[in-house]
Amino acid sequence: MTALPLVGFLALSSALFVVGLFGILTRRNFILVLIAIEIAMNAAILNFVYFGAFSSGTGGLTGQAVAVVLIGFAATEVAVGLAIVLALNRLKGTINVAQATDLKL
Amino acid sequence: MLDGLYGWAFLVPLFTALSFVIVGLAGTRMRRLEWGGWVAVAFAGASMVVGVLIGIGEMVNPGTYTDVRYTWLHLAPAPGPFPNGFSLVVGTLVDPISALMLIVVTVVGFLVMLYSIGYMHQDRGLPRYYSEISLFLTAMSGLVLADNLLEFFLFWELVGVCSYFLIGFYYERPSAASAAKEAFIVTRVGDIMFLLGIFIYFYHYSTVAPGWAANGFLFTNGTAPYLGAALGGNSTTLTIAGIMILGGAAGKSAQFPLHVWLPDAMEGPTTVSALIHAATMVAAGVYLLAVTSLFLGFTSTDQLAIVGIGGFTAFFAATMAVVHPDIKRVIAYSTISQLGYMVMAVGAGFAMVGLFHLFTHAFFKALLFLAAGSVIHAVGTQDLFKMGGLRKSMRLTAVAFAVGGLALAGIPPFAGFWSKDDILSAVYSQLGSHPAYWPFFLLAFAAVFLTAYYIFRAWFLAFSGDHARDPGLAHAHEGPWTMQVPLVLLSALAIGAGLLVFLPGFQSLLLSGAGASGIPPVYGTTDLVISAASVTLGLGGIALAWLLWGNGRVYALPETSAAQPVRRLLLKRYYFKIGYDWIGAKGVYSVARAADFFDRYVIDGTVHGFERMFALLSDRLRRIQTGVVSDYAAYVVAGLIALFAILLIVAPYVVARLGGG
Repeated sequence: MTALPLVGFLALSSALFVVGLFGILTRRNFILVLIAIEIAMNAAILNFVYFGAFSSGTGGLTGQAVAVVLIGFAATEVAVGLAIVLALNRLKGTINVAQATDLKL
Repeated sequence: MLDGLYGWAFLVPLFTALSFVIVGLAGTRMRRLEWGGWVAVAFAGASMVVGVLIGIGEMVNPGTYTDVRYTWLHLAPAPGPFPNGFSLVVGTLVDPISALMLIVVTVVGFLVMLYSIGYMHQDRGLPRYYSEISLFLTAMSGLVLADNLLEFFLFWELVGVCSYFLIGFYYERPSAASAAKEAFIVTRVGDIMFLLGIFIYFYHYSTVAPGWAANGFLFTNGTAPYLGAALGGNSTTLTIAGIMILGGAAGKSAQFPLHVWLPDAMEGPTTVSALIHAATMVAAGVYLLAVTSLFLGFTSTDQLAIVGIGGFTAFFAATMAVVHPDIKRVIAYSTISQLGYMVMAVGAGFAMVGLFHLFTHAFFKALLFLAAGSVIHAVGTQDLFKMGGLRKSMRLTAVAFAVGGLALAGIPPFAGFWSKDDILSAVYSQLGSHPAYWPFFLLAFAAVFLTAYYIFRAWFLAFSGDHARDPGLAHAHEGPWTMQVPLVLLSALAIGAGLLVFLPGFQSLLLSGAGASGIPPVYGTTDLVISAASVTLGLGGIALAWLLWGNGRVYALPETSAAQPVRRLLLKRYYFKIGYDWIGAKGVYSVARAADFFDRYVIDGTVHGFERMFALLSDRLRRIQTGVVSDYAAYVVAGLIALFAILLIVAPYVVARLGGG
């Protein structure tokens, strides 16, 4: 099997990140924003997997390990994010991020 | 024996300073307001005892310089403007001239203070009056005793502010308030010049005599003047410094062209006029010139300027006194004129002669003022044309005023004769080597005639005739004993102060000051001729006054007379006051307006411009803070992109341009 070049994989994860970023910036529904964040984050995790696979020696294993840890982080992040969604809904009666403007001084 | 007292000279200002504090703080709480006055009189008497004893000590043992000082602040030598260090010193210096002045200040101060008890008795501001006049005596004796130029300047300013307080004593009267302001502002012009003069001396002597500043601008090193005239040489710098000192003296001593404030200063109580504006403070300018000429030295150009100002002022002020209807202002012009004589004497190099005239003048002029005060106290007006016939009801005052007038007119053996004659013959002796003095000598000589005329015009108007011209003034009477005693004592001094020159001790006191030559009794033929001429002029002036005003006559200049414009010019004081007001209103005000414009629109405009710019910018910038999380995320992304753009595109370009690696 001819190995695909690293740059192809990086292009894939970059595309995935941009999709996530686009979602973060454009969605108004907080849950969709959270999903977009997950997509962007997974793009980053993918990079660890690629670099782990393409490197030699124990470095490869490290990449895989970090990826697994980050998946765990992503889960906790979603938990916190959904808690915020619930709290926001209770407070404002909506989960539209455009209406949550209390960060303004 | 009295030398031991020299170290205690500081007691003179200290006593009156205590009186200032006590009367100033507790005066209004005393059961009767005069009690504060008696406290002040007691302290003034104590300082008079010390002052006169010091004066006598200096007469017994003349020519000693006793300097007791305390270094208040010392800067160690360091490279820069003070290569030998720099000291600020406070101290007392007892030497011939300060001893002479100390007698004048304390004796006249005490007598005026005593007189005030009678004169000021109905006034509610008495505690303020006594505390201010005590402060004035403190400042004046401090000035006289100062042993260095900076201390001198300090007390110089303090007497100025006391003069301001006391001219404006009746501050609820607008004319008094504005006269006080005028006096303060006009003398300020001189004070600035004096300060500049100190700076220039400092600059000059920091190279010629580096130890001078290091030791604190002292007048003397303990045995003799610290800096002689010889040390400085005849440089332009010293000439300018001398002119600046002359400016300071002209401000304080009301010499032309800064003379305008003194006649207006008569708005204050008459006692203040007698003490401050006749005997002591206005003499401080002459004292400054004397101190400068003895200890620092004037150049010949300075001397000509001083003689010129003095001689011209002596005549100029006398002409204005000739027509004035106000008894106090006539005497005030006379003071300016007499100060002109003193300034002229000091300028011609005879500091001790000038100070001798200062000494006698202080007594007879204070006498004239107190006698005038007695008249004003009795009749309630200062207008000579309302008075008349007062010699019947006020015999003592009439005699006292006449004694003062004879002394002023220079009739022997009254005090003014000896000192004024000294000045004339001293200046005359310089005419050979300094022909430029001639016109000023002649002006001063002519002023002798005017002096005798105007003072006896005032006497005849007030005291001669059968009755007062204003019928409302019929019941005049003498003041209480506190007013009569000073009149008697000052009359005695006005007769005797000049004769003191025949007292060996006093004579050697005068002669022990540097630049003292020409003091009698060293009469030669020329001196006798000058004396005879000046006495003749004086008698002529009195005779003219008798012809025009004697025996209740009132001379009215015919309306068609060619002299009418002159009379108007004199009454308008040569338009100096109007001119200065015009300069103030138009010139200074325009400058002030321009400065105001600059401040308001250029300086404030810049500040406010920045303020407005940032307000505008921040208003724009504020709008990007929406509180919406996704907007912030967008900014983060935009920032990230910008960062990448800088790192990947701009930075390599810049590095390539700079040629770095």
